[in-house]
Amino acid sequence: MNRSTLPKGSTAALVLILGSTIWSLLGAGLSLFSNAQLLIPWLDRLIPAPWFNYGRLVPASQFLLSYGWLGSGLLGVLLILAPRFSGIAFRYGRLLFGGALLWQLAILGGFTQILLEGSSGLIGLPQTRFVSILLILSFLVLGTGLTRGLGRSWKSGPLLPRLYLLLGLLAFPLGLGSAEVLLRGTSAPGSVQLIAQLLWHSFHHHLWLAPLGLVLVFQLLPSLTGRAVSSLNLGLLAWSATALLGGWLGTVRASDGPIPSWMQSTGVVAGILMAFVAIANGLLIQNLTEGRWEEIRRNVALRFISVGAWSYACAYVLLAFLSLPWIRPVLTFTVAWSAFLEVFHYIFLGSVLTGSVYALLPVSREMGWPNSSALTWHFWSTTLGAAFVVASLILAGSFQGLALSDPGVPISTLASYLRPFLFVVVIAQVAWLVGQVAFTAVLFASLLRLFPAAAPMAVFRNPTVVRPVSVGHLHG
Amino acid sequence: MKPTRALTLVLGALLLAWVAQAAVGYWQVGRLEPVLNEETNLTVPPVPSGLAHTGARVFASEGCLECHSLSTRGPKDSADITRGWGQRRSVPRDYLFRDPAMLGLARIGPDLSNVGARMPEAEKLLQHIYDPQLLKKSSTCPPHPWLFTKTPSGPKVEPDALKVSPDGWHQLIPTYQAKALVAYLQSLNANYALPEAPLK
Repeated sequence: MNRSTLPKGSTAALVLILGSTIWSLLGAGLSLFSNAQLLIPWLDRLIPAPWFNYGRLVPASQFLLSYGWLGSGLLGVLLILAPRFSGIAFRYGRLLFGGALLWQLAILGGFTQILLEGSSGLIGLPQTRFVSILLILSFLVLGTGLTRGLGRSWKSGPLLPRLYLLLGLLAFPLGLGSAEVLLRGTSAPGSVQLIAQLLWHSFHHHLWLAPLGLVLVFQLLPSLTGRAVSSLNLGLLAWSATALLGGWLGTVRASDGPIPSWMQSTGVVAGILMAFVAIANGLLIQNLTEGRWEEIRRNVALRFISVGAWSYACAYVLLAFLSLPWIRPVLTFTVAWSAFLEVFHYIFLGSVLTGSVYALLPVSREMGWPNSSALTWHFWSTTLGAAFVVASLILAGSFQGLALSDPGVPISTLASYLRPFLFVVVIAQVAWLVGQVAFTAVLFASLLRLFPAAAPMAVFRNPTVVRPVSVGHLHG
Repeated sequence: MKPTRALTLVLGALLLAWVAQAAVGYWQVGRLEPVLNEETNLTVPPVPSGLAHTGARVFASEGCLECHSLSTRGPKDSADITRGWGQRRSVPRDYLFRDPAMLGLARIGPDLSNVGARMPEAEKLLQHIYDPQLLKKSSTCPPHPWLFTKTPSGPKVEPDALKVSPDGWHQLIPTYQAKALVAYLQSLNANYALPEAPLK
């Protein structure tokens, strides 16, 4: 391929997507091993070293999955997509490439620091301040590039993806920057530090990652199905509600004392209201995918994005359930919350990201995917694996919550309640990892052109011409 | 929707979340002050020692929060208080001098917000940190042998060596980090009354 024909920003997108794929394998591998340590405590004693400890592997894997896999991957696919919203091409490809490299460096630095020195203990901020600064700097470079997607008149092209992009682009630097200032830049009293941590937790998940995922859902689903969003007003209502409620969802995680009760009540209300937001977006997704089952079955990109889009609705309905006033006291501090994060990270964002890579990478790199059974394996293995993890964690969390609520149940027996479910979780995580390894193999083989491409899935026919998406450029 | 209106709405929503939680939170709980305990004539919550402050960092870096929370829930007949995890619920004032202030979002092990009152002996805490199975065979808590130095036992026994030996001919000397961690755990003692949270 002639490098000069590649759109600017294509190399940066590739670095972010490849980095994301590698971090996903490492992060999921560490998550699998840490769960195995919980299942078989003897594994903790295998290597008596701090970096091998459960307490370090868990934050390291969460950091890798959140910032490395999802953060890096979503930014990568958005770099391919953003210029096509507005028809404005990137101008400074090398700067974007530098930003993408800096992001990978920050992930590598953060991961190494957590393993070797341990987590900071702050919710959502296990990394050092230096790593956060690297992430913010890199995001400022990449985000400034992504603002191209917001350019020109908003009357042409899709509106909802742009609105979600705007939300995601502002939430990350504002949220992380202010959390860093409040938590590590000043000597805020401990009680305020707790509020700031939960606030960043909300921004991170509900105002940064979720909106970036929804950009892809509301851009690619209409493009791949050839349908427009059925009700823009409903979409706008859901978007406004996400922006207003998203920042309040973290406080629902604190139960009782440490933070003021009115904040917890607001978190509960916001959590329950998010179910309606999810249902509103779910209706739009339903209209986009209804009657397209054959196409969803045939096109792996569409299949992944559809599953991801539906999981978005499921994730927030689950969040609303966990926020219910009579459920919350029982399930707070249990692995039921891990189930929410699992649906959110692995099925919603993970599936949307993977589908977007399948759909958009051929646009960016003039490549195709092999007509390989590895693609089918990838879909079923990752989706079923993640679904089993979620189901097991919900059941485990329910038992754990009931046991914690009954003072007659000794705390030392808690692990034995969790063990059967953890066994299923570990097996399901192996399945997920197998699927992701298959994807990585296909990705690298396709980039290196090791076999002929036979499964075109690109949403844009001509990769070198940057232009806004329309129904006319749907299928490759 | 016009871009300027969208931008205003997003900035307004983000700002509202921050101002309402961080700024109002600061105004409401950030200005709390310690109160005088008339029985002891000391202020509560107590200011932790420098060693305990270092221990908080060790607690965070070893990832204890992945299994232990640091907040007791009320009311008086709640499961947490019945279990003996505290005599009252945790309130914002309890976290006044904690830096970093940690909450913990999981309970695979017991809550530790009052562990200093439940387990005040340093020796027991050190043994638990070295290998939790020394005290309880069924414990799933991971061991932390790297927080101890293993030296051959000789005629001279180090004064701060653990009373247990891994093999009979070595002694275990806690490192500075282990001592700091114990000081932190001992500082987690909320057995004092506050105006907003009297003891049961």
